Amino acid sequence: MSTDVATASSGPGPLGTPTRNTRETAILAAFYGAIALFAALIIFGAIDTDGFLTMTNVRAILSSVAFVGMVAVGTALIMISGNLFSLAVGSTAAAAAMIFLALLPHGIVLAFAVTLLMGIVVGAVQGFLVGGIGANTIIVTIGAASLIQGVALWASKGATILPPKGDTSFDWLSGHIFTFAVPIYILFATVVVLDQFLRRSRFGRQLKLVGESIEAARAAGIRTAWVVIGAFCIASFLFAFAGLELGAFNESGSLLIEGTQTYDAIAAAVVGGIAITGGRGSVWQALGGAILIAMISDILLLRGYSEGIQILVKGVVVFAVVVLARLNRMRAES
Amino acid sequence: MTEKEIKKPETDAPPMLSVRHVSKTYGAVRALDDASLELGAGEILGLCGHNGAGKSTLVKVLTGQVHPDAGEIVMLGESVEFRNPLDSQAKGLAIVDQELALAPDLSVEENLFLGNFDLSPLRRPAAVRRRARDLLRRIGLDVDPRSPVAGLSIGERQLIEIARLVGRDARVLILDEPTATLSENEIERVFAVVRELVREGRSTIFVSHRLDEVLDLCDRVTVLRDGRVVSSRSTADIGHRQELIRMMIGKELPPPERSDAARVTAGAGAEISGLRVPPAVLDFSQDIKGGQIVGLTGQIGSGTSQVLRALAGLEPDARGEFTLDGRQVRLGSPAAALRAGVAFASNDRKGEGLFLEKTVEENLVATRLHALSRAGFIRGRELKATARRLVEFVKVDSARIDDTVEHFSGGNQQKVFLGRALDRPDVKLLLLDEPTRGVDVAGRAEIHVLIRQAALAGVAVLFASTELDEILDLSDHVVTMFGGQIVASLAREDTNAELISADMTMSHERKEVAS
Repeated sequence: MSTDVATASSGPGPLGTPTRNTRETAILAAFYGAIALFAALIIFGAIDTDGFLTMTNVRAILSSVAFVGMVAVGTALIMISGNLFSLAVGSTAAAAAMIFLALLPHGIVLAFAVTLLMGIVVGAVQGFLVGGIGANTIIVTIGAASLIQGVALWASKGATILPPKGDTSFDWLSGHIFTFAVPIYILFATVVVLDQFLRRSRFGRQLKLVGESIEAARAAGIRTAWVVIGAFCIASFLFAFAGLELGAFNESGSLLIEGTQTYDAIAAAVVGGIAITGGRGSVWQALGGAILIAMISDILLLRGYSEGIQILVKGVVVFAVVVLARLNRMRAES
Repeated sequence: MTEKEIKKPETDAPPMLSVRHVSKTYGAVRALDDASLELGAGEILGLCGHNGAGKSTLVKVLTGQVHPDAGEIVMLGESVEFRNPLDSQAKGLAIVDQELALAPDLSVEENLFLGNFDLSPLRRPAAVRRRARDLLRRIGLDVDPRSPVAGLSIGERQLIEIARLVGRDARVLILDEPTATLSENEIERVFAVVRELVREGRSTIFVSHRLDEVLDLCDRVTVLRDGRVVSSRSTADIGHRQELIRMMIGKELPPPERSDAARVTAGAGAEISGLRVPPAVLDFSQDIKGGQIVGLTGQIGSGTSQVLRALAGLEPDARGEFTLDGRQVRLGSPAAALRAGVAFASNDRKGEGLFLEKTVEENLVATRLHALSRAGFIRGRELKATARRLVEFVKVDSARIDDTVEHFSGGNQQKVFLGRALDRPDVKLLLLDEPTRGVDVAGRAEIHVLIRQAALAGVAVLFASTELDEILDLSDHVVTMFGGQIVASLAREDTNAELISADMTMSHERKEVAS
């Protein structure tokens, strides 16, 4: 019988220097440090900026959130479903504004219905291409954006759509209740309802499972195509709704309404902490991200920074959040 | 025996690798608790233990993926610290695991020198070709270095990966469950290569649940239990797997109870005829009665997996007749299969199985969302109750019901995974592909009990396994496949290990027996 080759040092051997892990501590410090710094900057900026803590300013911030928040919530749904984001946000919104204003002569109810239906149909087509036949979201939504813009330009012959003269049927959409603009109430109501829906419905559960792993969801018998189509429909409905509100607010509709909405929506969802890889996040987070970005833009505006700086800071915030999310992930894994 | 003595390192020379008093804690779980082991030059060390005993953590410590809370790693007498996988590789440690790290669309030689920029095929094509041929010869693999890896079998790919590590001059090879996806012949080839490599003075750590293989290949075995090293003995000294099992669990396991073939009940069950999934399955017909457990076996590539996947609706090209309790089931739609009463547990637990970042609860109810909702809304209280019941049922710690499953051991993950398919009144056919892959002895026995319970409740069970023991322990009826076709379909009492392995390989012995 051969003796054990190199017996295991099960007995008390020479004690190695216990290497208390400095890496984990560093990750933790970086994570909480960055959050503290971030919070401190915003709080300090808010307090130190003249006019930030006034009712007028709060109203202004919320007014800008009313539109961005809506498209951010829609983007959040697509992100949770594991399909990144839509690049057709702005085009859908702009087309919605144009359709809504163009149809107002036929009555506001019809205008509402057709506009929102357009949103749903456009979303369903994109959802089918992505979820049903497995096409890439980025390509599909770029294509959709181009198609929507093309049709809008062709149908409007490049003209800006104006509401019929003297029509006041849509004025309530840009009116105020208790000092806040109506779209703000609509946004908060949407977030509350959608959040509850996602928590309590089967669709909400399935959305997160599909977002986490579409292969596992398919093997579990979930109809993944329908779930993705559902996410795109709701999202596109919200994009159209935001566009409709913007059209009513501006009292004019053209492709110019698109602006930077697509990117603002993505930024808000990401800053809100929704996992870009899918499966996790809530609509409240998208709203939070939108409010945070609006606050930062507002502080910069009040302090007189140029638009260039404002956009730059938005980019910095997005990067900071991406790094934070990564640190958080490492913290959870270590 | 003499061979082992020759390999014995000089007593005064420092061992190749020592792990000294390493500990690692995850939250409340002590994954490694003051674990120490030594690996001599030219030695093959088996690393055994339950799921959750700490093997994976120890491997991760050695490969630089996890940083121990305390302890020290010493190589050839020199203390080393692995801050990341690169550090570990630089010191000559290399790992081969089930998830092969090859680029399938690149050629064999490109894969062999992936990441080795001194030998980039772009820079020195002739030298690279020579070196690739040399490496392939050393592992006894006769393939063209220019052919793409995608065309090779899993076993061949594993050999390529080993060759790559040899090319990097790895001194310590860690084989983490390398044989789980291999057929018997392929396993023999890998083992032969490993034996050859240690003869050159390299060392190997072999992590496996397959105890016979451990005893066959290794010089010595270190057994982990609850994060601690409980024993380290030479394999010659251990002798038999029962002894190794006793070391792992601290007690003797009762022999597996044979299922009672006579209990097959009424219930029409599943009828499959003329199933084709080109090119993997050419013709498959089999009836499975309610309460019957049919074992499906064959070498890798024989088509067993595709049969199960087709019945689960996951093979869009599948054709054939499939009825369940007399009703036709449409092939090609997982949702239709689920509605008809088919539950499927894939062998790809991570890809097609669990939602790793979701909790135990969310995973357990993922397949029952329809039953647990009314008018599209989830009935929350019922969902919680169902999840609690299932956790008890599959014997996973109920305190962990809200933990995400990604950090669970393989056995516990598998139990959660099976829990989704078990104890459901709507399930009529249970399809299990490699139900105990990567699961330890005790976990395996528990999973077998769960499967038998399902059958006793009247469910028809069809499972695929490449492990003969499992097929023999669990099946009422054994179907053996080769090259996409059934070569034998026999009641359990009419077959045995020799017959099945002859059928699996279509070898001459079988033909003689048959004739």
